[in-house]
Amino acid sequence: MNTILSHGLRFGFFLLVQVLILNQIEIGVGTQLMIYPLFIALLPVEMNTFVSLSFAFTLGVSIDAMSNTYGLHTSSLLVFAYLKPIVYSAFAPRDGYDQVSETNIHEMGLSWFLRSFGLLLLIHHLWFFTLEMFKLNEILFVLQKTILSVIMSFIVCILLQYLFIRKPKET
Amino acid sequence: MRNFLAFIRRFQVLLFFALLQGIALTIYFTFSVFPRSQYLTTASSISGSILSVRNDLTKHFNLSASNRKLQAENSLLRKELTQNQLTIDQTWELDSSKAKNDSTIQQFEYIGGMIINSTFNRVNNYFTLNIGKKQGVEAGMGVISDKGVVGVIHNSSEHFSVVKSCLTSNINMDIMIEYSGEPGLLKWNGKDARRGNMTGVSNDTEIKPWSKVVTRGGAKKFPRGIPVGKVAKTEVVEGQPLWDVTILYAENFRSVQYVYVIKNLLLNEQQELESQIPNDIEN
Repeated sequence: MNTILSHGLRFGFFLLVQVLILNQIEIGVGTQLMIYPLFIALLPVEMNTFVSLSFAFTLGVSIDAMSNTYGLHTSSLLVFAYLKPIVYSAFAPRDGYDQVSETNIHEMGLSWFLRSFGLLLLIHHLWFFTLEMFKLNEILFVLQKTILSVIMSFIVCILLQYLFIRKPKET
Repeated sequence: MRNFLAFIRRFQVLLFFALLQGIALTIYFTFSVFPRSQYLTTASSISGSILSVRNDLTKHFNLSASNRKLQAENSLLRKELTQNQLTIDQTWELDSSKAKNDSTIQQFEYIGGMIINSTFNRVNNYFTLNIGKKQGVEAGMGVISDKGVVGVIHNSSEHFSVVKSCLTSNINMDIMIEYSGEPGLLKWNGKDARRGNMTGVSNDTEIKPWSKVVTRGGAKKFPRGIPVGKVAKTEVVEGQPLWDVTILYAENFRSVQYVYVIKNLLLNEQQELESQIPNDIEN
């Protein structure tokens, strides 16, 4: 019950922060902050992929509806949610994920988080900007946007976890 | 049959993903060209009201700048009032006071509105206005600010509407160079929010840098001569007799807040007349 409530609150939090604050921040050279993939990344590992895909679709459509992107966010978030189990099993720790209560940065460590979440976020951003531009001759501009945005989004995602997720007590 | 079921069971996650992805991509590729409904855009009542709450909080941040702009525009309009102009030809004035009323009719009306949501760093940037069908806003109307063109209404709901701004890649607005009347189409390359492109300008004429670019008034959305920007750079398109003209926009879309939606009162009359052109004339 508690996890359901906290994920529900997170859903609203990510939606509102993305739409009302981050969409308005303009850093320059096409850089865009997108933190909502963190919601999917923090869903429990053992969760059925159907359920997480449905969550991704709902969150994506809500963000699209409020930022006039007509399905762009939905499409890239679906890619993120679909690849998440594949990437997570490829980077699984030695004991699997049984010991882990949530795949946040405190539990898994920075290096795991950088590898798995970073890779997924890179794919998500690359999909988003490629689909948005939809022109092969602008590929360098797409790559430039992707790389700059991934770095900024990743930093914000890490900061959010340090700010809002309590560190588990050492036992 | 059993093989088919086994196939579905094996790839059920992939198929579900493909189904949802298909929905998302269909929405993306159809709605950005022609929105079939106001849902899934900021014109819908839920996202519209959330955004207007946010706007209520932030709109006062640049209140003094907005007031200054409005005052500047007011003083410009006040200058145009007849009572502030000295009539030189008195006889003409006496006759025309009545004649003027008969010889001119109102073609364009302006509906004031406020931008409550906007983006600038996407490839296609849409603005949301706090006025909708109730105030008479319909899809296809032009939107301007005090400095120049902002965009075209993309779709509208009861209380909100979405503007396809000059910062979308397929804005395709009818524009022209003011002094020569050279026509062209407005495009945006998705990079710089201060600059747009004018395509389709034939390169047999010289274009002076910093000459004004204005609307052509051909698409029934804008009156002729509303400023779009100034020519910043001209380049030759390779292999074609055309200029690629870079325009510095007159309006800084990052700071624009108050806009006017242009309602063409004679739109139906013009459309009716133009629909009578037979379009199957071949020779």
